[in-house]
Amino acid sequence: MEYAVETFSLTKIFSDWWGRARVYAVDNLDLQVRYNEVFGLLGPNGSGKTTTIKMLLGLLHPTKGKSLILGGDGTDSQINSRIGFLPEESYLYRYLNARETLDFYGRLFGLPAKVRKMRIEALLDMVGLMAVANRPVGTFSKGMARRIGLAQALINDPDLLILDEPTTGLDPIGTRQIKDLILKLAERGKTILLCSHLLADVEDVCDRIAILYGGKIQIQGQVSDLLQQTNKRQITADAISDATIEKIKQLIHQENAECVVTSPMDKLETFFIRTVAAAQKQAQTTSGAVSTTKIGDFLTKQTVTEDILDKLVSAPVSQDGQAEPPATEKVIPVESSDPEPAEQLLSKLTGSTEQTEPDASVRSEQITTQPVESQAPGPEQVNKSILDQLTGKQSTQGQDKEPSDKSQAGDIGDA
Amino acid sequence: MRSIWAVATNTIKQALRMKVAAVFLILLLVLLSALGFSSTGDGTLKGRLQTFVSYGLSLTSILLSLLTIIISIYTVTSDIEQRQIYTVITKPIRRFEFLLGKLLGVILLDMVLLSLFAAIIYTITIYMPKFTKAPELERMQANYEFFTARASLTVPAIDVSQEVEDTYKKLERSNGLPENVSYEEMIAQITMQKQLANRAADVGQVLTWEFDNVKSLAQHFFVRFKYDVAVNPPDMQVLGRWVAGDYQYIKYGTESETPIYDQVHKNSVRDFHEIVIPANVIPEHGRLAVAFQNYPLNSTVIFFPPDGIEVLYKADTFTGNFIRVIFLILFRLIFLACLGILASTFLSFPVAILLCLVLFSTSCFSGFVMESFGFLSQNVGVIYTYTIKWMVSLLPQFDKYNPTRFMVPGLLLSWTVLARCAVVMVCIKSLLLLVLALIIFSYREIAKIIV
Repeated sequence: MEYAVETFSLTKIFSDWWGRARVYAVDNLDLQVRYNEVFGLLGPNGSGKTTTIKMLLGLLHPTKGKSLILGGDGTDSQINSRIGFLPEESYLYRYLNARETLDFYGRLFGLPAKVRKMRIEALLDMVGLMAVANRPVGTFSKGMARRIGLAQALINDPDLLILDEPTTGLDPIGTRQIKDLILKLAERGKTILLCSHLLADVEDVCDRIAILYGGKIQIQGQVSDLLQQTNKRQITADAISDATIEKIKQLIHQENAECVVTSPMDKLETFFIRTVAAAQKQAQTTSGAVSTTKIGDFLTKQTVTEDILDKLVSAPVSQDGQAEPPATEKVIPVESSDPEPAEQLLSKLTGSTEQTEPDASVRSEQITTQPVESQAPGPEQVNKSILDQLTGKQSTQGQDKEPSDKSQAGDIGDA
Repeated sequence: MRSIWAVATNTIKQALRMKVAAVFLILLLVLLSALGFSSTGDGTLKGRLQTFVSYGLSLTSILLSLLTIIISIYTVTSDIEQRQIYTVITKPIRRFEFLLGKLLGVILLDMVLLSLFAAIIYTITIYMPKFTKAPELERMQANYEFFTARASLTVPAIDVSQEVEDTYKKLERSNGLPENVSYEEMIAQITMQKQLANRAADVGQVLTWEFDNVKSLAQHFFVRFKYDVAVNPPDMQVLGRWVAGDYQYIKYGTESETPIYDQVHKNSVRDFHEIVIPANVIPEHGRLAVAFQNYPLNSTVIFFPPDGIEVLYKADTFTGNFIRVIFLILFRLIFLACLGILASTFLSFPVAILLCLVLFSTSCFSGFVMESFGFLSQNVGVIYTYTIKWMVSLLPQFDKYNPTRFMVPGLLLSWTVLARCAVVMVCIKSLLLLVLALIIFSYREIAKIIV
């Protein structure tokens, strides 16, 4: 079977009781999600994302066309046992507590009691709800309910994970964590269908995307292909002297190209995570969800070769909660160079596994080979840079994600 | 199977934690204990016991019925309306398993609650005589007529068709037939007259009933009767002479080897009364006759209503009968659970509740409903026969299988009757509803909200 999810001119028409007022929620949708790929389904509100997912899972009947999911029907329980699904809101039984909720879903999968117990503890730990595990989920805030919803979707260690707006209602740490988790799962060969209108989230993790509007696919393809600006190059370096910069500029001028030199900005996300991590270190109490960066053991069990990676990855976990992670930067030796200074810095700040010199300078220089009108945000433009990113304007983003990038992003939260 | 169980336990948790069940539980406990102290009936021990058991069982049955309807509908519709079903049905559980799980949960909850209340009612009933100061006679009466399970000898129906035919012909010959009355109506009228005549006794007249193959019974048997009168006597009481024994003695006056019961009783009219007759009057050949004489001191015609005379004998213990009656209630609850599940597969909560309550109350008067529709059928004939009649006959007959009908007069609910009820109410009607529910639920769009 070539595709994890495949639809054939899938159509859903909503009509009123008399069969009038026809609305094409999904219109002749041909979607292909390959195995082991993080696929983003984007689109504004009411563009048919959720309807598509509901049809895939058999919650709605297609008016026309059909869909295959893991090579079978979405209502087949054999197939269902390999799927994890997080609906657009966490619909939970309000009277059950967090642990009972997960236990209930675990029993639906027919998991033996031992496995169930082990996974529930791991998941509760992972989503940071261990402290409130015995509270009815009806009393949870939206973000906490979202975390339980996510845990519920992961209890069977699914091959295909369908996430509908996974980050709504989550704090930045939770968002970061979900993104890390997605990458981590993708690394393990899982397929993820992500449905969102938060473009920043999608961009960070997706291999391929499709943009839906009016129930139709407007565009579909590799994120890198869609976003890469092939007419520009970007170089990121440590804090080098002005003299060196001049030399580089001269070199560039020799090629008749322009360049702009700035210092990259922290992402607000990174900054926020750092602040909270510092507060956590001081052991301030919270009644909400505890932000953890752990990922359930059973979700990260991998083949032998990947185990080595895991060890590397888990190394920083032991230093969890350590203060300011050593932030270093080297010029990434990848040919296409790193696209996003902000993200680069983020991974750096949060302790990339590749770093070896913990005491290098904190600053780094960004050098682009051509001057770009919308780049180089000043210090007062922190928000703008994120907005740019959301709207996809930033000139230098959208590089192909290398596997090494993924592993970096995967452990970003470890610091 | 595991997933069915998971859904079932979740349903029970829901019912308990959402406090639906708790409200009913407390209500019942309070009412039952209040009843235990307050019920007096006609003042005798038997009266008290009858009132308590009658109200207790009816209350339990009605409240649990309502609870079953509410929970079975709520548990499915809330899952659909609050959309928890999205995450449940996309797990490896088939849709029919989901519904079966819900049903199982409701039925298990019913079983637990029903056994609890049955145990309470039973205990109070059993201990009531011990904590009541009652004369020995009342205790005996309670033992004979309440703490027992009695079957009745079939009172043979007297065939009057020949007589009716003759009367009709006679009227026809003498041109005595009233005009504008059809043949069927006339026949029905004469039949009623004749049947009444067979149950009526003028002053001094004797009515005799004969029973075949009466086995030698335990110590006693009972004649349960209700008098009706043409003219009300001043003190609303009449005298009746009751004779029981070998039919040959009563009919032909021949010598009898077995003793003969012959006593005069004074009883109020239009109430049920019982006389206890020792079992040794039953002759060896098994043909027993019971005779009633309108005692010459009376001044009115006495007749017995259609259900006005029964000859009862002890067939089982009170406990056995009580258990079977509880089963009867359970069957009713199972039916209602299936009905609720069916309604909730295609209706929203308030509409489903309304539908089920209407059907429930109709079922409680099913006899009356059927009769009225039967009357209607004379006018709309064919249409009725193929539509409403069919639907009405699908209703369970809660009134026919009413627990108090058996417990109050200490009548035997035989295993046969219970089995028939199980087959009709559970195996056929409930199963039909359930299959319909499963079909609807398997094909409906889960994500579509039904208003």
